[in-house]
Amino acid sequence: MKHDINLTVNGELYNLTVESHHTLLTILREQLVLTSVKNGCSEGECGACTVLFDGKPVNSCLVLGAEADGHEIVTAEGLTINGQLAPIQQTMIDLGGTQCGYCTPGIVMASFALLERNPNPTEQEIREGLVGNLCRCTGYTRIVDAVREAARLQRTDMTL
Amino acid sequence: MTTKQLSVVGKSFQRIESKAKVTGSAQYVDDMQFGPNLLFGKLKRSPIPHGLIKRIDTSKAEALPGVRVVVTGQDFPGLTGLYLSDRPTFAVDRVRFVGEAVAGVAAETRELAERAVELIEVEYEPLPGVFDPEFGASPEAPLVHPDLMDYECAPFIFRQEGTNISNWFKVRKGDMEAGWEEADIIYEHAYKVPQVQHVPLETHATVAQMDGNGKITLWSSSQSPFAQRNLIAKSLGISHSKLRVITPYVGGGFGSKAGVSMEGACVIMAMLAKGRPVKLVMTREEEFYTTFVRQGLTAHIKMGMTQDGRITAMQNTYYWDAGAYTEYGVNITRAAGYSSTGPYFVPNVHADSYCVYTNHPIGGAMRGFGMPEIHWATEQHIDRMATQLGLDPVDVRLLNCLKDGQETVTGMIMHPTGLSQCIAQAAEALDWGKASKPSAPHKRRGKGIAAMWKAPAMPPNPGSSATIRFNEDGTCLVNVGGVDIGQGALTVASQIAAEGLGIPFEDVRVNTVDTDYSPYEWQTVASRITWSMGNAVLRAATEAKEQIIDMVAEVWDENPEDLDIIDGHVVSFASEESIPVKNIVVYGMQKPDGTWIGGPVVGKGRFMPDYVTPLDAETGQGPRAVVHFTTGAQAVEVEVDEETGHVKVLKIVSAFDVGKAINPDLVRTQMEGGAVQGLSTALLERLVLEEGQPKNPNFTDYRIATAVDAPPEMVNIIVEVPQDDGPFGARGVGEHPMVPTAPAIANAVRNALGIEIDAMPITSEKVWAALKAKNG
Amino acid sequence: MQAFDYVKAKTLEEASALLAEHNGDARPFAGATDLLIRIERGFLHPAKMVDIKNLPGFRAINALDNDWLRIGAAVTMNEVVIHRDVESRYPLLAEACQSVASYQLRNRATIGGNICNASPAADSAPALICYGAEAIIHGPQGERRVTVEDFFQGVGQTALERGELLTAIEIPPPPDGAVGRFLKLGRTTVGDISVMNVAVLGWPDENAASGASWRIVLGSVAPTPIRAPQAEKLLAGDTSPAGIEAAARAAADTARPIDDIRASAAYRTDMVRVYTRRGVEHVLAELNY
Repeated sequence: MKHDINLTVNGELYNLTVESHHTLLTILREQLVLTSVKNGCSEGECGACTVLFDGKPVNSCLVLGAEADGHEIVTAEGLTINGQLAPIQQTMIDLGGTQCGYCTPGIVMASFALLERNPNPTEQEIREGLVGNLCRCTGYTRIVDAVREAARLQRTDMTL
Repeated sequence: MTTKQLSVVGKSFQRIESKAKVTGSAQYVDDMQFGPNLLFGKLKRSPIPHGLIKRIDTSKAEALPGVRVVVTGQDFPGLTGLYLSDRPTFAVDRVRFVGEAVAGVAAETRELAERAVELIEVEYEPLPGVFDPEFGASPEAPLVHPDLMDYECAPFIFRQEGTNISNWFKVRKGDMEAGWEEADIIYEHAYKVPQVQHVPLETHATVAQMDGNGKITLWSSSQSPFAQRNLIAKSLGISHSKLRVITPYVGGGFGSKAGVSMEGACVIMAMLAKGRPVKLVMTREEEFYTTFVRQGLTAHIKMGMTQDGRITAMQNTYYWDAGAYTEYGVNITRAAGYSSTGPYFVPNVHADSYCVYTNHPIGGAMRGFGMPEIHWATEQHIDRMATQLGLDPVDVRLLNCLKDGQETVTGMIMHPTGLSQCIAQAAEALDWGKASKPSAPHKRRGKGIAAMWKAPAMPPNPGSSATIRFNEDGTCLVNVGGVDIGQGALTVASQIAAEGLGIPFEDVRVNTVDTDYSPYEWQTVASRITWSMGNAVLRAATEAKEQIIDMVAEVWDENPEDLDIIDGHVVSFASEESIPVKNIVVYGMQKPDGTWIGGPVVGKGRFMPDYVTPLDAETGQGPRAVVHFTTGAQAVEVEVDEETGHVKVLKIVSAFDVGKAINPDLVRTQMEGGAVQGLSTALLERLVLEEGQPKNPNFTDYRIATAVDAPPEMVNIIVEVPQDDGPFGARGVGEHPMVPTAPAIANAVRNALGIEIDAMPITSEKVWAALKAKNG
Repeated sequence: MQAFDYVKAKTLEEASALLAEHNGDARPFAGATDLLIRIERGFLHPAKMVDIKNLPGFRAINALDNDWLRIGAAVTMNEVVIHRDVESRYPLLAEACQSVASYQLRNRATIGGNICNASPAADSAPALICYGAEAIIHGPQGERRVTVEDFFQGVGQTALERGELLTAIEIPPPPDGAVGRFLKLGRTTVGDISVMNVAVLGWPDENAASGASWRIVLGSVAPTPIRAPQAEKLLAGDTSPAGIEAAARAAADTARPIDDIRASAAYRTDMVRVYTRRGVEHVLAELNY
């Protein structure tokens, strides 16, 4: 069964025809070729497919594409505006939070959302906030550092 | 070696590809676009661990509309393997593990491919299985490979006819009787390590396509594009020039993407797909037990020690649960043999390392290549003996650890090593000997340490090569065959090239691999890329630099010895002339008479160790078993909940002798990542196999460490005792940081509670049970 | 994933009719965080997936006139956690919901789904049962309600009958001065499926010899979440350290766990003792009486 849906992705409106059983992950990757959204487990455990759904992070592998009708999606591609990286993207580079990079877009999205709801998280809040994002390379330390630093940058920005 | 001040090497540049990664634009295999022509592959897998294939009926699958390719082992019976050719791409007459591929399907959609696989009927005659390596090594065990002796095999692998033992590495050194005699105490104990999985976040992914000339391109998420080309071409009987392997970014490997696992199946399906590309991507479940796992181990350790803690003798027997095919695993068991004592001077050694076929998933390379497993045993053993003697485990390690010029277990003379410094500095940074206060009354704290060594494990002659080409603007492209699997190989190669050339780091870029355009590299394994590929890159840079300097010297009529390249400019110390390299590296240089010399600069370099010697088959002795050892130590502090058994690792200090840190921050990130992977295997990980059936092939029940489980504090200490055969003195350090972690944690838990955990992982329940047993 | 049809139900009647008509071949879903995994793994093969989260009231949390709190079946775990009334009046429920999986997952996973899966490890259930929450069920015969405790019938078994749908959870006002604690044991520290869990609720009660009355509900140690009535009774009588230990042991005696891949029955049983005691100690320290 196919469904016609309208959704906004990274600020642009799309009219798509999607299969009932295709997940949002499949649709973003295969119909819109937004390949920052990675498939790591298909079971909502690894977080590599994390995107923002109406501003909230979700595992796109556990959302049906048809459910996104009328909703707004943001992927890692959508965080970079006019070539300007989001603070968390920049601090992930600066502090060495990425190694193989496969978990990175999902971690960037989860961290971005974490800072939206909690601009000044403690270390424990950062770590718990990233429990849904598995990383096998970094040991997480640099990622936690990057989130903390992005929080600092964003706060400084706001007070300017 | 150069004594010149280094300007690029030794600095912590950010990795060159990180912007592509944080923006999500870095392309991995599954991200590449092949258009609507793409077919989706799926493999039919064995549901039983051991049996004969009586009949395969693919007719229903073939009849399903939209199915384009159906293939079985009958069509492509060739065997493959890195050291021992024992593995078919699709099982032919026998299946040997749950999940073994017996047929492949390519169809218009994923759903059709899944449906077609379900429609393939396979009839098996089940056979008794082998699920324990000690049983497997016994004469009673059914044979997993009755044709073992017929397989093609590397000369340093010793199969045992009529058994399941595909390699037996022996060490017979010194006088065991005398060693036991001299000992004041002798302690004997057994340890176990289960199968674990690498868990790269990106599962194995391939696309293959054959063109009208019969040339096949394989896009593969691989640590080994060249080895894949070699092994797949050989198993299919096609020319190497007819197979091209392209490896874009790779989402983690840890050894699982070394050699060949499922890639040949994708190539075979593409050969039958009439020119259409075929994609084969492993699901997470498939990744858990059908590609590679780390081998299981049962280790029996017997050690003698004098009252003051000196090791007098060691008798180690390693039974490796190597799985259904040991084409790669045989060399793990060899590495375990020639490293069997751990990093200690032991005058009398009797070691047996048996590679045993079982009806378990295929054991392959995993970060540390046998070392985390054997150190789990030896590093707990030495610690327990130290306690038995009332000695400090740090002192006992410092007393026994290998020092420059001492003989290793295989009779090799140890090169200069910072092992003692690593042990001492790790202990110091953890405030060794000082107890800290638990956070609650029902909690106990403890500290533990473990030392390690590991050599690159490989054939004696694995080669590396590199080329350097300049662009018109003076930037250059380094071509290599090594893969950046997250460790930072591209960045390190850039730094070595920039340093060797005398140009800014930012002006050097390194490609990802395409075997048609990249020079040969054996494999990205064994922590050998910084060292081996680094040597090749440095040589290529040196050659390119010579071309530039010779050209300028001729035009300026100067002695080349007076010229150097500094920060992208050729400068003369004699005439104080200077010229930017960008003016001359492509178009050459005009001489005073108006003619031109030079031309596009192309540097090439290659490296292959030519000093590794064979070892005696009966004694394991020889002058140089390996190129060198990287050594190090970790010290950890834990807090254990006495009631639940939960172990929280509070702090890990890592100290490793890397010879020379080309990029210190990348070294530190290897230490951190390795330590947490080590922690994860130590506390959580085990692929549960019941009669060969995997019970937890998913993240729900195969838990890996999250950001909360990682230690809040990690300290990384870089020790630099230069390596004479490494670029700028560098050794590899990719694998080493996960080697000592598990035994260091076990030692810390023992320090905290006085309990001993012999079998990894140290789950909360195991700690709880051990405490119950201890307290009665 | 095998193909199925997707239907976005607009009214309760439509949803109910679809479910009745297709009898098991149609699956209602809200967050789908559990269903899609089971379909992906090949355990379920629904022909239709009926999306019920947009049904009227399904995503709302309302304070009712009788002072009960009504939580729509499709309210997500995160929405429960941050809701002002939940935070102020039912913090034990917030604590339990927050312990589920990851933040991303909790943006999709719903309280109704957690109950309807009827997993013995459902983290919200022990808290709901402590508060005496009731499940509101809509079916061909109209609306009925059962306690959440009775809603759980066995592993994967609920009180729902053919064509019936959970529409909401309603929670009575908590006892005055109630304090709760939810504790969960996982293999990884945060976010795992519960190896076992326990919810403890205590409140001042002059009629109790110890000065407080108690509810203790255990998860993942029986086919359904279960009350530990003997422990509750002992605590009403005595909350001295010895009394707490006796109650914790009684709770452990109530547990009927199994050995599985996550833990042995023996370990789970002992952890019921440890976590019940810790939960009670925590509550006792905060109780004001």
